[in-house]
Amino acid sequence: MADFGERRNLLGDEDEDEDSFADRQAARGPGRLMAAICDPSRLLHRVVVLFFMCFLGFGSYFCYDNPAALQSQVIQDLNLNTETFMQLYAWYSWPNVVLCFFGGFLLDRVFGIRMGTIIFSLFVCVGQVIFAAGALVNRFWLMEAGRFVFGIGGESLAVAQNTYAVNWFKGKELNLVFGLQLSMARLGSTVNMNIMGWVYNQVALAVGSSGHTALGGSLMIAAATCVFSLICALVLAFLDKRAEKILNKEQGKTGEVIKLTDVKDFPSTLWLIFIICVGYYVAIFPFIGLGQIFFIEKFNFSPTQARAVNSIVYIISAPASPVLGFLVDKTGRNVVWVMIAVIATLAAHIMLAFTFWNPWIAMSLLGVSYSLLACALWPMVAFVVPEHQLGTAYGFMQSIQNLGLAVISITAGAILDSRGYLVLEVFFCACICIALMSVVMLYFVDYIKGGDLNRSAAARAKLLKESTTDAE
Amino acid sequence: MAAAAKGRGVGVRVFLVVFVFISCQSLIDGRNTYKRKLTVQLIHNPTSPPFGSDLLHVRAEGVNDTLHYLFYNQGAPTLLLVHTDSSSSTVKVNWTQFLDRNTSGGLTVEPQSSILYSSAVVFSRLWEYDDVNDTAEASDDFFPPYELQDFSWANVSLSGLTALVCGTAPNTMNGSLCLKLSAFDSEGRDESWPRLLHSANSSQLEVWLNGLLPRGNHSRFMLELQAVSGAYPLSRVDVRQSIDDEYTPSIFKIFQWVSSMNGSSDVLGFVQWKPVAYRKSHPVLEDATPCRHSDPRPQRGEETAASSVLIRAFYSDPEIMGLNVSFGLAGEPFYNSTMFLSWTMLVGVGSPPVDSFSPLVLTIMVVCLGTPLILLLLGGVFVFLYKKRKASTLGYEPVN
Repeated sequence: MADFGERRNLLGDEDEDEDSFADRQAARGPGRLMAAICDPSRLLHRVVVLFFMCFLGFGSYFCYDNPAALQSQVIQDLNLNTETFMQLYAWYSWPNVVLCFFGGFLLDRVFGIRMGTIIFSLFVCVGQVIFAAGALVNRFWLMEAGRFVFGIGGESLAVAQNTYAVNWFKGKELNLVFGLQLSMARLGSTVNMNIMGWVYNQVALAVGSSGHTALGGSLMIAAATCVFSLICALVLAFLDKRAEKILNKEQGKTGEVIKLTDVKDFPSTLWLIFIICVGYYVAIFPFIGLGQIFFIEKFNFSPTQARAVNSIVYIISAPASPVLGFLVDKTGRNVVWVMIAVIATLAAHIMLAFTFWNPWIAMSLLGVSYSLLACALWPMVAFVVPEHQLGTAYGFMQSIQNLGLAVISITAGAILDSRGYLVLEVFFCACICIALMSVVMLYFVDYIKGGDLNRSAAARAKLLKESTTDAE
Repeated sequence: MAAAAKGRGVGVRVFLVVFVFISCQSLIDGRNTYKRKLTVQLIHNPTSPPFGSDLLHVRAEGVNDTLHYLFYNQGAPTLLLVHTDSSSSTVKVNWTQFLDRNTSGGLTVEPQSSILYSSAVVFSRLWEYDDVNDTAEASDDFFPPYELQDFSWANVSLSGLTALVCGTAPNTMNGSLCLKLSAFDSEGRDESWPRLLHSANSSQLEVWLNGLLPRGNHSRFMLELQAVSGAYPLSRVDVRQSIDDEYTPSIFKIFQWVSSMNGSSDVLGFVQWKPVAYRKSHPVLEDATPCRHSDPRPQRGEETAASSVLIRAFYSDPEIMGLNVSFGLAGEPFYNSTMFLSWTMLVGVGSPPVDSFSPLVLTIMVVCLGTPLILLLLGGVFVFLYKKRKASTLGYEPVN
């Protein structure tokens, strides 16, 4: 799933110029007395809102990796080969190649944040139900259609979630909230990876045999998380509406302006960042999608162990992201951090490809480097394009990331089917190496341009100070 | 454990080789290019009956040695392999004695003194069991085994260096068990999975079961193999782990049933296979099914000699080891789903061939790891020059 969270996380505090609640609260003056839990201006109420906000995305993150968690069951029960299996991931990505540009626009101009969130949650829910129904009746095309509908909702829901967060927590606990939301997303993925195998076995016991019915049943159960998220969306809409009335605040906006003509003005460094993004993420997500059977076959892991080691990337990412984000913020030098992350990932993939070392080592390394890359790469965009182009740049970056994921997912499945895991791993190494080449080039291009990307945090602060004194 | 460690060692070593910029060409050329001259012939019984009995003889002549592969299509299917140190050794058949099946001596390799090593593989029985609980543990729910010596075997059909023979079980019309023997004059590998690497010192036997009606609703099969040797029995099965599954996707192990002199690590002869069988004749990855084998155990020579004509004719006092290869693990689809099962093995003399990375993998790794390094170097040099020029232009600035 695309790393939308990280980007928002690191940019949240420079988005809009809305007044914060504090001002409005002062303007409102002492009014009716309300219990703290019901008063939208009180922390306790915001904590309640935060709860629903966090679980808003839980369903979509939980269900996104359903195919990976049930890889062997899906392949066996539906008689698929790996390439068609990976189509399930590709179909999730296809709608987002386009939707990344319009998600923000739809939320701001067409639906509004409340309606938009409900609509996207509905898409996620309906998509997952179609997906599960497809498994129940053993129609693979229906499952693909389900993933497509699910994809329409999934990524845009993340945008909506972040908009809500900005709306409620700006000027308060915003970074913490972003961190929590991201951790919840990772938690959703982790829980999914570790629990779905058990759910499947229970359903298989209940219906008497494994097979597409059991698969459909367990996917339907997974859909319950989406229904739960939908309920969260409804509750949030109610609470937001209520807060609007009480506090006279506006509906939240993503504030995103997409102008496709901006693309021609993108600097070369931004294109290099795009290449890094695609080259890197295509070696992570499709790999996790295919990981389970790999660990079983190559390292003789039991299915449970394999699912656990496959989810370690997400488990590590949950606590590591805030820590590494802090580290990168304090030190600067983003290009060097990205380079370290890319090299560490390359090392992890080489380990998995060419050794029989315990995969916990390689996967943990992958988890740390994946979190590091997310913290260092996404904020770089803000350094190379002017602020009014940020929306377009990020939309474009996510769009081509999704395009890359869709294409590489299918390719990876085809390679595995015909050439096996070694060649697949070598292919992923090649993708990472393309990212590495781009990092090296980015380093030099930025150096020659005298750019801001690789400055230390201290130098950046100094520069900022100088420019403000100049302005005065 | 030791084998695993060894595999790991090989992995790390090869991994280093990748890093050290070794040119791929030299690795390809470094391959064994030893070639043998092969002649394939069917020796017909001059007295004719029983109908359809063919003795296949493949003579693989090297520079100063000869390998004789002999395959007979009556009785239990048997492949006999005789290695001689003379390039002019010959096979002699005394048909009366051969068909009599009472005493040895019906088949000899002349001169007797030139024989370095001989071994044979006998496919003696095919076991079937009904795996109701899907455990793939064959206990005692066995159906009566198919005695392969009782099958009615068709004539050997030759095409190039491969010979095919199929047989049907007595009292059945449907289905057959087929064996395909491929002899090789040089190193290479087959087009179809498991794509075992073979050398000029080995031949490949593929055995498949096609359309034989299962007797249970959850049938699984097990093949009983016997390895016969003159002096040194094939006493142990070694496992080698390999990181390279590019030729047999998702299979990272290779088993070799070897014969070695007491206490020596030199391997005289081997039977090698990967733990995988395929459930379709043109398989995709999902049609692969894992297999397991039991430990080799000594068998009674007399029984085997009675079932296999070649063993009786060639060996007077055979030493026999037997093991079972069972197809499918718990949770894997049953035989009933496709009614097809194929498994491949390699039989040869000397050490078993060892796989190496394909040029494709090596090229990709070298290019991928090399290019960023080169970029880094070039970039470094460029930036250095750029800085120097900038510094020198800056130096003149005060003059203007």
